[in-house]
Amino acid sequence: MEFEPVIGLEIHVEMKTKSKMFSSGRVAFGDDPNTNVVAVDMAFPGTMPVVNKQAVINAIRVCHAMNMTIDDELWFDRKNYFYSDLPKGYQITQQFRPIGSNGYIDIDLEDGSKKRINIERLHMEEDTCKQLHSWDVSLLDYNRAGIPLIEIVSKPELRSGYEAMKYVEKIRSIVTFLDVSDGKMEEGSLRCDVNISIREKGNTAFGTKVEIKNLNSLANIQKAIDFEISRQSLLVEFGDKVQQETRRFDEASKETVLMRLKTDSVDYKYFVDPNIAPIKLSEQFINDAINSSPELAEVKLARYKKLGLNEYDCSLLIADKDISVYFDELLKTNANPKLLANWVISDVQAVLNKNGISIKEFPISVDNLGKLILMIEAGKVSNKQAREIFEKMLENNANPEDLAQKLGTSLNSDEASIMNMINEVLSQNPQSIIDYKNGKDRALGFLVGQVMKLSHGQANPAMTSKLLTEELKRR
Amino acid sequence: MDYLKLSISEIHKAILAGEVSPKELILSALKKAHEDKNNAFEYICDKEALEQVENLNENQKNNLLYGIPFVLKDNFSTKDIPTTGSSNILNGYVPIYSSEVYLRLVEQGAILIGKTTMDELAMGGTGTTGHKGVTYNPWDKTNSRLVGGSSCGSAAASSAGIVPFAIGSDTGDSVRKPASYVGLVGFKPTWGRISRYGMFPFATSLDHVAFFTRNVEDSATILKVLAGRDDKDSTSSFKPVDDYCSQLNANLKGKKIALIKGINDCINDTLILDTFNKVVELAKQEGATIDLVEIDNKLLKAIYPTYIVISCAEATSNNANLDGIKFGPRAEGESYEQIVFNNRTNGFSELIKRRFVIGSYSLLKENQNDLFLRAQRCRHLIVNTINNVLDEYDAILTPATPSVAPLISSVSSDKLSNEYLIADNHLAIANFGGLPSITIPCGFENGLPFGLNLTGKAFEETKLYSIAKRFEDITGLANIVAKEDK
Repeated sequence: MEFEPVIGLEIHVEMKTKSKMFSSGRVAFGDDPNTNVVAVDMAFPGTMPVVNKQAVINAIRVCHAMNMTIDDELWFDRKNYFYSDLPKGYQITQQFRPIGSNGYIDIDLEDGSKKRINIERLHMEEDTCKQLHSWDVSLLDYNRAGIPLIEIVSKPELRSGYEAMKYVEKIRSIVTFLDVSDGKMEEGSLRCDVNISIREKGNTAFGTKVEIKNLNSLANIQKAIDFEISRQSLLVEFGDKVQQETRRFDEASKETVLMRLKTDSVDYKYFVDPNIAPIKLSEQFINDAINSSPELAEVKLARYKKLGLNEYDCSLLIADKDISVYFDELLKTNANPKLLANWVISDVQAVLNKNGISIKEFPISVDNLGKLILMIEAGKVSNKQAREIFEKMLENNANPEDLAQKLGTSLNSDEASIMNMINEVLSQNPQSIIDYKNGKDRALGFLVGQVMKLSHGQANPAMTSKLLTEELKRR
Repeated sequence: MDYLKLSISEIHKAILAGEVSPKELILSALKKAHEDKNNAFEYICDKEALEQVENLNENQKNNLLYGIPFVLKDNFSTKDIPTTGSSNILNGYVPIYSSEVYLRLVEQGAILIGKTTMDELAMGGTGTTGHKGVTYNPWDKTNSRLVGGSSCGSAAASSAGIVPFAIGSDTGDSVRKPASYVGLVGFKPTWGRISRYGMFPFATSLDHVAFFTRNVEDSATILKVLAGRDDKDSTSSFKPVDDYCSQLNANLKGKKIALIKGINDCINDTLILDTFNKVVELAKQEGATIDLVEIDNKLLKAIYPTYIVISCAEATSNNANLDGIKFGPRAEGESYEQIVFNNRTNGFSELIKRRFVIGSYSLLKENQNDLFLRAQRCRHLIVNTINNVLDEYDAILTPATPSVAPLISSVSSDKLSNEYLIADNHLAIANFGGLPSITIPCGFENGLPFGLNLTGKAFEETKLYSIAKRFEDITGLANIVAKEDK
């Protein structure tokens, strides 16, 4: 028998808004437990929800990026159930009228072709509080309670672990480039649940669906799905039935393991939340949200290409949103884009890889790296020297100009050889001598630069400057 | 002189004239609260009220509410002051924040002297189901009659002469019905007119902040203080606040008022009906056009079931936060499920549990269309019909209750009934439509008061007050309090 897997994904994205979905409680990650909590977050009697405008703007932007139909009225519903992490005894969500519906994204397949994955819905909701269980006590941290979430539900159109991985990767790119979320799977700001079943190829009916939870990396999504496909295929091959169950991915064994069997699904008794009157979204509001949206990866890629960068370099620059932001800042120096890109892609990336840090933790500021690259471009330092300076800058983000001075001792400090070059430069630039004599200080800088150029950056700049001044006085 | 039996405006004049100081008023109100024989109080704010009166800002003394004592129904959150909703599940609960209503009153210099009893979590119309037991009608010296609910303690405290105004909440008729039983003015505004932030929700789509006063003018005064947008309650309206006292001198000439035939037909008490009709005649003589309007009786019969289904469904969800995990008393248990189970089993009375079951049942997937959504459709039909009447008329006039305050012994718990109970439940129409609605005294039967009700168009409170004031003048029944000889 030949099987076809049918895979649908539900992705929860935690938004990085300033405040929570329905309260003024602060959204911050890594703070002490229960420090970012207001009365609404703990469902004190009489508190009421107020919709976070920025969260709505974010949701509109993501909807737009995924080519969805955006509802022009906001409706919220209650999902009623009791659980220890659910303060109100219901979660506010958008069951009946999600803000986004019927969208799609295109993913890149291994063979270079593209596949369109349709997206059923995108809705906003609120996160629950975080539970910490130890052997004798359960602790609740309400910092997370009420953090805005968007849930994105795909149609069951994915057919392999690789496709699912590419799909999540694309969505992560969208939400991070739009500044909606950190999109960190390992920290739970992007969470993915997989629904997967198999059926005989050519069959249109669906098989029994298994849910896989707690997937914390792109790699694990792919591995878990591929494992699950073969597990289900084997079962059916040998005449067994796939059970309706929830499984999790075990990293050690690289297998999915049973969490619980699913019996009748819970009745959440959804109804429209009477605390939130429907909100009309004007065309203007929706358009403003879209037009003021940060650039998506694709848009950046097109922009970089126009600067003359090749496809491969571009793809490296947009692989991580923060790196592209760093690169965008560097572009403001007006140095050669290709030179800037090379530094980011090779030298900077190497440091990040070696130390396992993100660009946000990279010690050299955009300002200083920009200066260094401009110095290279102006011929003030050689590539070799620039790398030396770069190494030093990694230690304390020092100004590369100062470092170049200090490094002067290691440069060419041979008086006679420098004097030869000075004389050569002076003979070629008689006008500069006159300018200098007429009090134009810039002339000196120009002449020093010419000597540096002649020496391929090897001349000690301080000594060059000193000798040049003396020589000019003599003339 | 017992200033506490006067209206707000009269007390205000006395304060300005130096006849009585806010502190004397507050001390006297606190004393009366402690001597209360009607079981009106959950908590008396001895320390808090005195502290507040000491800190009154004299620059504010021209505010009508400066130094005026008042009470809050115990479902309004008050920071550092216990708030129980008259339910055991919130015994000892001391809120960390204050309701918007409370803050706005305090800002005007009004002084909270107590939190009042209510039907448990505002569910019930008798004033008998709170965790402190029955609240008695101050007009009945034998303590054998209801004050009505659910805002029973607020009704009792005001009609017993302890405070000139009292805050309650109104989901079906919880202020306007007890007002009828104790001879007070009971008012609820348009849905969204007053912020509900900090008011414990019973059924959000029907809940209103409402209040008791001793005359129509005082009611308009209180509304002016409380009305207006609050960003913490996103259902509160942005519409500008009117000067609700501005039309109190108008007359009834040219006013069109509708009587609803199906409601009047259900009033079996001939004295109440005769008195009501007399008032109607006098209003006609003043120039009002008053017509008997017929609406589909099926809609009137649908009021009670519609109310029960919607209110119980919303209530079961609204009260799901009461699990004993975050606040309130904590029952023990081996697991989360057990703790919640024990808390809710011990914390709620049988009546509340029954309502939760009804609510849950009507929200279940297999029942939702037949019950919850059908009730919503019914609600729309009823509201559309009433709004059509109000398109032609300035107000709808009905007897507020079919009788004077019933005997406590006649209360048959909260069991479902197979009767339609139109006369007992028609005031809920104003909750369905979110319409402003006011009960004022209409007459007496055997020394017990009964009221009439006027309901107007959404956000037309000024007009409604104007009409109500004329009816108050016609009946001559204003500023009445129960005699003290319990």
